[in-house]
Amino acid sequence: MKLTKNTPEPEIPTSSMADIAFLLIVYFMLTATFAATRGLDFALPKEDDNQQTEIEPEDAVLIEIDPAGNVQVDKKAMEINGQILEYLAPKLQANPKKPVIIQPNPKSPYGTMVQVFDLLRQGKLIERQLIWREKFPEISEEQWEAGKNISISIPTQREIDQFWN
Amino acid sequence: MRIKPRHTQQPVIPTSSMADIAFLLIVFFMVTVTYEKDRTQVELPKTDLRFEIPKEVAYISVTTNGVIRVTNGEELSSPIDIADVVSFASNVVSQFPGRPIVIKADGAVDYEKVDKVIDSLKQAKVELIYLLSDQKTVDRGGAV
Repeated sequence: MKLTKNTPEPEIPTSSMADIAFLLIVYFMLTATFAATRGLDFALPKEDDNQQTEIEPEDAVLIEIDPAGNVQVDKKAMEINGQILEYLAPKLQANPKKPVIIQPNPKSPYGTMVQVFDLLRQGKLIERQLIWREKFPEISEEQWEAGKNISISIPTQREIDQFWN
Repeated sequence: MRIKPRHTQQPVIPTSSMADIAFLLIVFFMVTVTYEKDRTQVELPKTDLRFEIPKEVAYISVTTNGVIRVTNGEELSSPIDIADVVSFASNVVSQFPGRPIVIKADGAVDYEKVDKVIDSLKQAKVELIYLLSDQKTVDRGGAV
């Protein structure tokens, strides 16, 4: 009589692998932070003690921010929108090197300064300009072109005290 | 004649590909995971423009109650005094030349606090900073 042993098929127990895999998925999902790693870049001017390019407030466009977050451009109250660009466009065309100085009041909210900086920074980018161009047909091509070279300066309180007073 | 019971197939859910999917997801999350060096909760200012910030950066966070926390990007952030920001930034510049410093400040914080931080960074000869922001969603570009 032939004896055939009923040997079970050899197999790797994979039933628990899914448990482990999903545990790992959940762990990485929870620890994954799609962190807000985006923002505005701002190149700080190189501070050479002797070769400080002196900017007189009179030569520049001065954007002031008061403690309530209201914006004044050359002492004229403006909203943080295209109005500022519209004001700047002819001035930049006349003198592309004209610096724009943002001078927030020490007690003004930081967010307002960022908004103003964001707006001015947009003048440098063609793709952003296109959006604004639709809204401001009266600003000419040359004026937009000049806006690309806008030099934005945010002097710190120490620099203001040092150079302007 | 007895009819043989039909040889019905046992119903199974095909789970063999589940592992593939699961491991694909694991790999995805492992690759994208970035352990945040700075977990300070702030209400970031909102901007239209947002540029990608490189991974290797130092952070300085400023909260509304005036607490400043810093990390050079290698370890978890720790609170420091405003007067020590210059030495911190100098260390970052000498240890990791060219590494940008990200300012993560609450939008409602008084500007003077950020001003002092920026001034310290200028003194430490930092070349590039980033102002961390959230995407502006409503009121795009402001009322015209």
